[in-house]
Amino acid sequence: MTKRYFEDFSVGDVEEFGCHVPSEEEIIEFATEFDPQPFHIDPDAAKDHFFGGIIASGWHTGSMLMRMIVDHQIGNSASMGSPGIDELRWISPVRPEENLKAKSEVLEVTPHKYKSDRGFVKFRHTVLTAEGEIKMTMISSILFGCKPVAEGV
Amino acid sequence: MATRYFEDVKIGDTAEFGSKTLSREEIIAFAKKYDPQPFHIDEEAAKSSIYGDIIASGWHTAAVTMRMMVDNMIDTKASLGSPGVDNLRWHKPVRPGDTLRVRTEVIDKKRSRSRPNMGTIFGKLEVINQQDEVVMSFNSIGMTLARTNKPE
Repeated sequence: MTKRYFEDFSVGDVEEFGCHVPSEEEIIEFATEFDPQPFHIDPDAAKDHFFGGIIASGWHTGSMLMRMIVDHQIGNSASMGSPGIDELRWISPVRPEENLKAKSEVLEVTPHKYKSDRGFVKFRHTVLTAEGEIKMTMISSILFGCKPVAEGV
Repeated sequence: MATRYFEDVKIGDTAEFGSKTLSREEIIAFAKKYDPQPFHIDEEAAKSSIYGDIIASGWHTAAVTMRMMVDNMIDTKASLGSPGVDNLRWHKPVRPGDTLRVRTEVIDKKRSRSRPNMGTIFGKLEVINQQDEVVMSFNSIGMTLARTNKPE
Protein backbone atom coordinates (compact mmCIF):
# COMPACT_ATOMS: atom_id res chain seq x y z
CA MET A 1 0.00 0.00 0.00
CA THR A 2 1.44 3.36 -0.94
CA LYS A 3 1.56 5.99 1.76
CA ARG A 4 -1.69 7.95 2.01
CA TYR A 5 -1.86 11.72 2.33
CA PHE A 6 -4.65 14.25 2.79
CA GLU A 7 -5.13 14.47 -1.00
CA ASP A 8 -5.83 10.74 -1.21
CA PHE A 9 -9.23 11.03 0.49
CA SER A 10 -12.34 12.22 -1.38
CA VAL A 11 -15.89 12.81 -0.18
CA GLY A 12 -17.95 9.69 -0.80
CA ASP A 13 -15.05 7.20 -0.60
CA VAL A 14 -16.24 3.98 1.05
CA GLU A 15 -13.96 1.25 2.37
CA GLU A 16 -14.60 -1.94 4.28
CA PHE A 17 -11.75 -3.57 6.12
CA GLY A 18 -10.51 -5.52 9.09
CA CYS A 19 -11.64 -8.58 10.96
CA HIS A 20 -11.62 -9.08 14.70
CA VAL A 21 -13.33 -11.75 16.77
CA PRO A 22 -13.08 -10.76 20.45
CA SER A 23 -12.92 -13.72 22.84
CA GLU A 24 -14.73 -13.64 26.18
CA GLU A 25 -11.27 -13.60 27.77
CA GLU A 26 -10.24 -10.48 25.84
CA ILE A 27 -13.52 -8.72 26.69
CA ILE A 28 -13.13 -9.49 30.39
CA GLU A 29 -9.44 -8.54 30.38
CA PHE A 30 -10.08 -5.09 28.86
CA ALA A 31 -13.03 -4.41 31.15
CA THR A 32 -11.24 -5.63 34.28
CA GLU A 33 -8.65 -2.93 33.68
CA PHE A 34 -10.84 -0.12 32.33
CA ASP A 35 -14.57 -0.74 32.80
CA PRO A 36 -15.21 -3.23 35.61
CA GLN A 37 -19.01 -3.24 35.54
CA PRO A 38 -20.63 -6.65 36.22
CA PHE A 39 -22.08 -7.04 32.71
CA HIS A 40 -18.56 -6.70 31.25
CA ILE A 41 -16.57 -8.88 33.65
CA ASP A 42 -18.81 -11.36 35.48
CA PRO A 43 -20.47 -14.02 33.26
CA ASP A 44 -22.83 -15.16 36.05
CA ALA A 45 -23.97 -11.68 37.02
CA ALA A 46 -24.25 -10.74 33.33
CA LYS A 47 -26.73 -13.58 32.67
CA ASP A 48 -29.29 -12.06 35.02
CA HIS A 49 -28.63 -8.50 33.91
CA PHE A 50 -30.24 -6.29 31.27
CA PHE A 51 -28.02 -7.64 28.48
CA GLY A 52 -28.36 -11.37 29.29
CA GLY A 53 -24.64 -12.17 29.02
CA ILE A 54 -21.18 -10.64 28.89
CA ILE A 55 -20.86 -7.69 26.50
CA ALA A 56 -17.77 -5.72 25.56
CA SER A 57 -17.11 -2.32 27.09
CA GLY A 58 -18.04 0.32 24.53
CA TRP A 59 -14.53 1.74 24.89
CA HIS A 60 -13.19 -1.69 24.03
CA THR A 61 -15.30 -1.75 20.85
CA GLY A 62 -13.96 1.70 20.01
CA SER A 63 -10.41 0.52 20.66
CA MET A 64 -10.94 -2.55 18.45
CA LEU A 65 -12.21 -0.23 15.71
CA MET A 66 -9.15 1.98 16.14
CA ARG A 67 -6.89 -1.03 15.67
CA MET A 68 -8.66 -1.96 12.44
CA ILE A 69 -8.36 1.65 11.25
CA VAL A 70 -4.62 1.70 11.99
CA ASP A 71 -3.99 -1.72 10.44
CA HIS A 72 -5.95 -1.17 7.24
CA GLN A 73 -6.60 2.52 6.67
CA ILE A 74 -4.08 4.90 8.23
CA GLY A 75 -1.12 2.72 9.29
CA ASN A 76 0.85 3.81 6.25
CA SER A 77 -0.31 7.40 6.09
CA ALA A 78 0.62 10.92 7.05
CA SER A 79 -1.88 10.81 9.96
CA MET A 80 -1.09 13.30 12.72
CA GLY A 81 -3.83 12.19 15.10
CA SER A 82 -7.38 13.23 15.76
CA PRO A 83 -9.00 16.23 17.43
CA GLY A 84 -12.04 14.19 18.42
CA ILE A 85 -15.20 12.27 17.69
CA ASP A 86 -18.81 13.35 17.27
CA GLU A 87 -21.82 11.14 17.81
CA LEU A 88 -20.22 8.01 19.11
CA ARG A 89 -23.07 5.49 19.35
CA TRP A 90 -23.06 1.98 20.71
CA ILE A 91 -25.96 0.65 18.63
CA SER A 92 -26.04 -2.95 19.81
CA PRO A 93 -23.98 -4.91 22.33
CA VAL A 94 -20.80 -6.70 21.20
CA ARG A 95 -20.76 -10.25 22.54
CA PRO A 96 -17.89 -12.75 22.69
CA GLU A 97 -16.93 -14.51 19.43
CA GLU A 98 -18.80 -12.11 17.16
CA ASN A 99 -17.08 -11.53 13.85
CA LEU A 100 -16.43 -7.79 13.55
CA LYS A 101 -15.26 -5.63 10.67
CA ALA A 102 -15.08 -1.90 9.96
CA LYS A 103 -16.53 0.38 7.34
CA SER A 104 -15.60 3.96 6.59
CA GLU A 105 -17.18 6.69 4.50
CA VAL A 106 -15.53 10.05 3.86
CA LEU A 107 -17.98 12.83 4.74
CA GLU A 108 -15.80 15.95 4.39
CA VAL A 109 -12.27 16.97 3.48
CA THR A 110 -11.15 20.35 4.82
CA PRO A 111 -7.70 21.92 4.37
CA HIS A 112 -6.23 23.31 7.61
CA LYS A 113 -7.12 26.98 8.05
CA TYR A 114 -3.61 28.19 8.84
CA LYS A 115 -1.22 25.39 7.93
CA SER A 116 -1.16 24.65 4.22
CA ASP A 117 0.69 21.34 4.67
CA ARG A 118 -2.19 19.44 6.31
CA GLY A 119 -5.94 18.94 6.38
CA PHE A 120 -8.82 17.23 8.19
CA VAL A 121 -10.73 14.25 6.84
CA LYS A 122 -14.10 13.61 8.47
CA PHE A 123 -15.20 9.97 8.37
CA ARG A 124 -18.22 8.01 9.45
CA HIS A 125 -16.70 4.84 10.88
CA THR A 126 -18.92 1.85 11.61
CA VAL A 127 -18.28 -1.44 13.39
CA LEU A 128 -20.46 -4.20 12.02
CA THR A 129 -20.66 -7.99 12.02
CA ALA A 130 -19.98 -10.17 9.00
CA GLU A 131 -23.79 -10.51 8.77
CA GLY A 132 -24.15 -6.73 8.60
CA GLU A 133 -25.46 -5.98 12.10
CA ILE A 134 -24.30 -2.51 13.10
CA LYS A 135 -22.57 -2.40 16.50
CA MET A 136 -21.10 1.08 16.73
CA THR A 137 -20.87 4.25 14.67
CA MET A 138 -18.87 7.43 15.07
CA ILE A 139 -18.09 10.57 13.15
CA SER A 140 -14.34 10.98 13.48
CA SER A 141 -11.96 13.60 12.26
CA ILE A 142 -8.35 12.75 11.42
CA LEU A 143 -5.59 15.23 10.57
CA PHE A 144 -3.40 14.18 7.64
CA GLY A 145 -0.30 15.74 6.19
CA CYS A 146 -0.34 16.76 2.51
CA LYS A 147 1.86 15.12 -0.09
CA PRO A 148 5.36 16.55 0.11
CA VAL A 149 6.20 18.79 -2.80
CA ALA A 150 8.35 16.72 -5.18
CA GLU A 151 11.99 17.72 -5.23
CA GLY A 152 14.27 17.75 -8.24
CA VAL A 153 11.58 16.80 -10.74
CA MET B 1 -23.28 2.89 50.24
CA ALA B 2 -26.94 3.20 49.23
CA THR B 3 -27.67 2.51 45.58
CA ARG B 4 -27.80 5.73 43.56
CA TYR B 5 -30.91 5.56 41.40
CA PHE B 6 -32.26 7.87 38.71
CA GLU B 7 -34.20 9.87 41.32
CA ASP B 8 -31.02 10.52 43.33
CA VAL B 9 -29.23 12.33 40.49
CA LYS B 10 -29.95 16.06 40.34
CA ILE B 11 -29.41 18.46 37.46
CA GLY B 12 -26.46 20.68 38.37
CA ASP B 13 -24.74 18.03 40.51
CA THR B 14 -20.96 18.31 40.11
CA ALA B 15 -18.18 15.97 41.12
CA GLU B 16 -14.40 15.82 40.82
CA PHE B 17 -12.60 12.54 41.38
CA GLY B 18 -9.90 10.09 40.44
CA SER B 19 -6.14 10.23 40.10
CA LYS B 20 -4.47 8.21 37.42
CA THR B 21 -0.85 8.60 36.38
CA LEU B 22 -0.04 7.14 32.98
CA SER B 23 3.42 5.63 32.71
CA ARG B 24 5.41 5.44 29.48
CA GLU B 25 5.15 1.64 29.62
CA GLU B 26 1.36 1.70 30.00
CA ILE B 27 0.94 4.15 27.13
CA ILE B 28 3.04 2.00 24.83
CA ALA B 29 1.39 -1.28 25.94
CA PHE B 30 -2.13 0.00 25.31
CA ALA B 31 -1.22 1.49 21.94
CA LYS B 32 0.57 -1.65 20.78
CA LYS B 33 -2.70 -3.51 21.26
CA TYR B 34 -5.21 -0.97 20.02
CA ASP B 35 -3.62 2.06 18.36
CA PRO B 36 -0.13 1.26 17.05
CA GLN B 37 0.64 4.58 15.40
CA PRO B 38 4.30 5.67 15.58
CA PHE B 39 3.65 8.64 17.88
CA HIS B 40 2.06 6.28 20.45
CA ILE B 41 4.54 3.37 20.40
CA ASP B 42 7.87 4.41 18.86
CA GLU B 43 9.94 6.83 20.92
CA GLU B 44 12.35 7.62 18.10
CA ALA B 45 9.63 8.27 15.53
CA ALA B 46 7.64 10.29 18.08
CA LYS B 47 10.58 12.70 18.51
CA SER B 48 10.23 13.87 14.92
CA SER B 49 6.42 13.95 15.01
CA ILE B 50 4.41 17.11 15.76
CA TYR B 51 4.19 15.92 19.41
CA GLY B 52 7.94 15.61 20.14
CA ASP B 53 7.54 12.49 22.30
CA ILE B 54 5.09 9.62 22.59
CA ILE B 55 1.57 10.56 23.63
CA ALA B 56 -1.25 8.36 24.89
CA SER B 57 -3.82 7.03 22.44
CA GLY B 58 -7.03 9.01 22.84
CA TRP B 59 -8.78 5.69 23.35
CA HIS B 60 -6.44 4.99 26.25
CA THR B 61 -7.32 8.34 27.83
CA ALA B 62 -11.00 7.50 27.37
CA ALA B 63 -10.50 4.03 28.86
CA VAL B 64 -8.74 5.28 32.02
CA THR B 65 -11.46 7.92 32.31
CA MET B 66 -14.08 5.17 32.24
CA ARG B 67 -12.20 3.38 35.00
CA MET B 68 -12.22 6.51 37.17
CA MET B 69 -15.96 6.85 36.53
CA VAL B 70 -16.66 3.23 37.47
CA ASP B 71 -14.53 3.51 40.61
CA ASN B 72 -15.95 6.83 41.78
CA MET B 73 -19.24 7.73 40.16
CA ILE B 74 -21.16 5.02 38.37
CA ASP B 75 -23.29 2.91 40.68
CA THR B 76 -22.96 -0.53 39.12
CA LYS B 77 -26.15 -1.67 40.86
CA ALA B 78 -28.20 0.92 38.98
CA SER B 79 -26.21 1.56 35.78
CA LEU B 80 -27.61 0.17 32.55
CA GLY B 81 -24.77 1.27 30.32
CA SER B 82 -24.64 4.02 27.75
CA PRO B 83 -25.89 4.49 24.19
CA GLY B 84 -22.94 6.71 23.33
CA VAL B 85 -21.14 10.01 23.81
CA ASP B 86 -21.18 13.30 21.94
CA ASN B 87 -18.56 15.93 21.16
CA LEU B 88 -15.57 13.96 22.34
CA ARG B 89 -12.51 16.19 22.04
CA TRP B 90 -8.87 15.49 22.72
CA HIS B 91 -7.78 19.03 23.56
CA LYS B 92 -4.18 18.38 24.54
CA PRO B 93 -1.85 15.41 24.27
CA VAL B 94 -1.54 13.15 27.35
CA ARG B 95 2.14 12.51 27.94
CA PRO B 96 4.02 9.93 30.02
CA GLY B 97 3.86 10.85 33.71
CA ASP B 98 0.71 12.97 33.38
CA THR B 99 -1.77 12.55 36.23
CA LEU B 100 -5.41 12.75 35.23
CA ARG B 101 -8.62 13.37 37.13
CA VAL B 102 -12.26 13.76 36.11
CA ARG B 103 -14.76 16.57 36.56
CA THR B 104 -18.44 16.00 35.82
CA GLU B 105 -21.65 17.99 35.82
CA VAL B 106 -25.21 16.71 35.36
CA ILE B 107 -26.78 18.74 32.54
CA ASP B 108 -30.17 17.05 32.16
CA LYS B 109 -32.15 13.91 33.02
CA LYS B 110 -35.12 12.26 31.35
CA ARG B 111 -37.22 9.36 32.56
CA SER B 112 -38.02 6.82 29.86
CA ARG B 113 -41.64 6.99 28.69
CA SER B 114 -41.75 3.43 27.43
CA ARG B 115 -39.86 2.02 30.43
CA PRO B 116 -40.53 4.34 33.40
CA ASN B 117 -38.39 2.17 35.69
CA MET B 118 -35.33 3.69 34.02
CA GLY B 119 -34.04 7.03 32.82
CA THR B 120 -31.21 8.78 31.03
CA ILE B 121 -28.70 11.14 32.64
CA PHE B 122 -26.93 13.68 30.40
CA GLY B 123 -23.61 15.00 31.66
CA LYS B 124 -20.62 17.12 30.74
CA LEU B 125 -17.32 15.47 31.51
CA GLU B 126 -13.81 16.91 31.53
CA VAL B 127 -10.50 15.16 32.09
CA ILE B 128 -7.87 17.40 33.67
CA ASN B 129 -4.11 16.96 34.02
CA GLN B 130 -1.81 17.91 36.90
CA GLN B 131 -1.45 21.42 35.45
CA ASP B 132 -5.25 21.86 35.53
CA GLU B 133 -5.43 21.75 31.74
CA VAL B 134 -8.43 20.06 30.16
CA VAL B 135 -7.02 17.23 28.03
CA MET B 136 -10.29 15.60 26.99
CA SER B 137 -13.99 16.37 27.24
CA PHE B 138 -17.25 14.85 26.12
CA ASN B 139 -20.98 14.89 26.71
CA SER B 140 -22.00 11.68 28.43
CA ILE B 141 -25.29 9.81 28.21
CA GLY B 142 -25.95 7.25 30.94
CA MET B 143 -28.95 4.99 31.39
CA THR B 144 -29.83 4.13 34.95
CA LEU B 145 -32.49 2.29 36.94
CA ALA B 146 -35.12 4.27 38.80
CA ARG B 147 -36.19 3.47 42.34
CA THR B 148 -39.90 3.57 41.41
CA ASN B 149 -41.98 3.85 38.25
CA LYS B 150 -43.45 7.14 39.43
CA PRO B 151 -42.26 10.45 38.00
CA GLU B 152 -41.06 12.78 40.76
